[in-house]
Amino acid sequence: MTHEERRAGLVRRWGRSAKDFLYGMAGHDMTRYALKTRGSMEHLFILITMGDLLGVPILPPYYSLRLLPYVVPQISTWKRRMLRERDLTDALA
Amino acid sequence: MNSILVLIVGVLAVLLGYGWYARRIDRDFVKPDADKATPAKMFMDGVDFTPASRNVLFGYQFKSIAALGPITGPIIAVQWGWLPALVWVILGTFFIGWVQDYGAMIMGVRSEGDTMGALSYKLVSPRARTILMVFIYFYLLLIMGAFGNAVGKVLMTNPKVPFGMIAVALMGVLAGQMTYKLRQDIILTTIVTVLLSFGGIWLGTRPFMESVFSAILGLPDSPTIFLGNTQAQVVGPILVIAFCYLGSVLPIWSFAQPVNYVSFWIVSLGVLGGILGVLIWRPGMGDFPVFTEFTTASGPLWPMLFVVIACGAISGWHSLVSTSGTARQLEKETDALPVGGGAMFMEMVFATMAFLTATVAFEGWQGYLDAGGAPAALAVFSSGLARFLSQIGIPETFGTAYGSVFLTIMALTIMQLVVRFMRVAGAELVGKQVPAMRNVHVGTSVSLILTLIFVWIIPWLTIWAAFGASNQLMAGLALLLIALWAMSEGRVHTWALYPAIFMIVTTIAALLYLAYDNLIVRLPAAATVEGAIASLLVGLIAVVLVVAAGFLILDGLKALRKPQERLADVR
Repeated sequence: MTHEERRAGLVRRWGRSAKDFLYGMAGHDMTRYALKTRGSMEHLFILITMGDLLGVPILPPYYSLRLLPYVVPQISTWKRRMLRERDLTDALA
Repeated sequence: MNSILVLIVGVLAVLLGYGWYARRIDRDFVKPDADKATPAKMFMDGVDFTPASRNVLFGYQFKSIAALGPITGPIIAVQWGWLPALVWVILGTFFIGWVQDYGAMIMGVRSEGDTMGALSYKLVSPRARTILMVFIYFYLLLIMGAFGNAVGKVLMTNPKVPFGMIAVALMGVLAGQMTYKLRQDIILTTIVTVLLSFGGIWLGTRPFMESVFSAILGLPDSPTIFLGNTQAQVVGPILVIAFCYLGSVLPIWSFAQPVNYVSFWIVSLGVLGGILGVLIWRPGMGDFPVFTEFTTASGPLWPMLFVVIACGAISGWHSLVSTSGTARQLEKETDALPVGGGAMFMEMVFATMAFLTATVAFEGWQGYLDAGGAPAALAVFSSGLARFLSQIGIPETFGTAYGSVFLTIMALTIMQLVVRFMRVAGAELVGKQVPAMRNVHVGTSVSLILTLIFVWIIPWLTIWAAFGASNQLMAGLALLLIALWAMSEGRVHTWALYPAIFMIVTTIAALLYLAYDNLIVRLPAAATVEGAIASLLVGLIAVVLVVAAGFLILDGLKALRKPQERLADVR
């Protein structure tokens, strides 16, 4: 690796770090909130298909069965969210 | 002393503190393992537990911990002279501040992302969690009172400021609509809203707008109309409360988040401009005294100086952010030091900048007093920043309004978050007994009415000292938890225990002083009903906080005596 390439690599790394830092200060909170909103939507989504997931027909099975393939990939992360112990300080983050 | 020399001392403290002391503790005692799975990876849920790069988290952590504390504290503390304030900002961060931020973060990472409440339950005692929650509620109420007082009764009473603040809020709403509804590019959104915000701040300084807000605030001779407050001091806090109400009840994406986003650019550009101004100007302190006297309007140097610098050296708020927020996003254990420790050292530099606005911007002691001194600390900062900005060609009139809006939005960013928390806490704590508290509007209104009472009746320096004491005591308790955690892992724990002892002793002394001053000295001598209520409130809150901390410390001492193996079993 030549001296110029090393220098260019260093500049790129610094640039990327600065960009990440700026994003962390300005936009990371917004991203986290968008993720939280999506998480809440997923909870509702899983709620309406839960009956059929367990074999208890609460909604007409046709619609639920159409939805189930979209639910299955979310089950593991949903379980973690639902079962995690929470307290008031969670509201601060 | 010259301002450049102060900056050099600050930079040296960062190099030595972070590069040597912090790294040594990290490497020799905590021994983080880059290959060990963190909670962000183990429990990834796509929401709270999600790994992020350390540069992103460094920015996130710094933004979450930097509010009014590091700015206001040093400006009030220089009333004891510049040396005690500077020494505590630097040595406090060096030996205690970063230890708490970093320690809380690594403790959260090693404890599966537990919050402070859960950690106190496991490490101290089951009742410690409940006591901590009560403590945190009062602590947050004091944050609201102190920040609301600073902003509502000082900054918003300047008729050049409210329109700028309203303009920034409206641009925040526009940013939210452009981002989420109109799906516009973020760069375009940023340029449009930030430029329009600056336009709004400038418009606020024009004679027409100034006369409109002068009429609303009853200026220039604002009459006393309510609880000993002038019309301006009544209207200013109401504007702040209205803003917090909207931030609490409107969907976050439409108000609080985008306003914070626009505010970030306003604040960052101000800080950058201020630093450039200092570097170009390089002013000296003139006749600013090294040390004035042991007892000032805020009380005796020990313990009060250590609590009025509420965030510049150490802050309990940081432990809450570090555990509930950042610890759950760390990709590697080794990132805890640059993120937690690094952000705290950066905050020390921020506090040093605030220190400079008080000591060098007015070229002497009399200039500091003429600008308002400790009783108008935020006005001192905005005028000082305006002087720095004038070095890069920005007119002082605009600079003062800009500095005031800058501080207002910094305070409101935290206040909106705290109101949301208090609303949730109110619903949790008394929701069963009073079902109305579960209603968003009722819960928010109750929190904000309490805030207004604090703002209107408690004097500024008193509420700031009470907030500082509770904030630093929270930090002391967090340090105690960190020491217990280090013990439970069989590691050296003195690096956290000695700072914990110092902070707990100092802050309890400060709270006892406040209780004595308010209940024994001021209450019997109060000339008005509101003065008596204010003294009673502050005194009682100080007593409640001391009692709550006393229980936590007693349980903590019992836990310290437990054999390490038993603690490990409990974990």
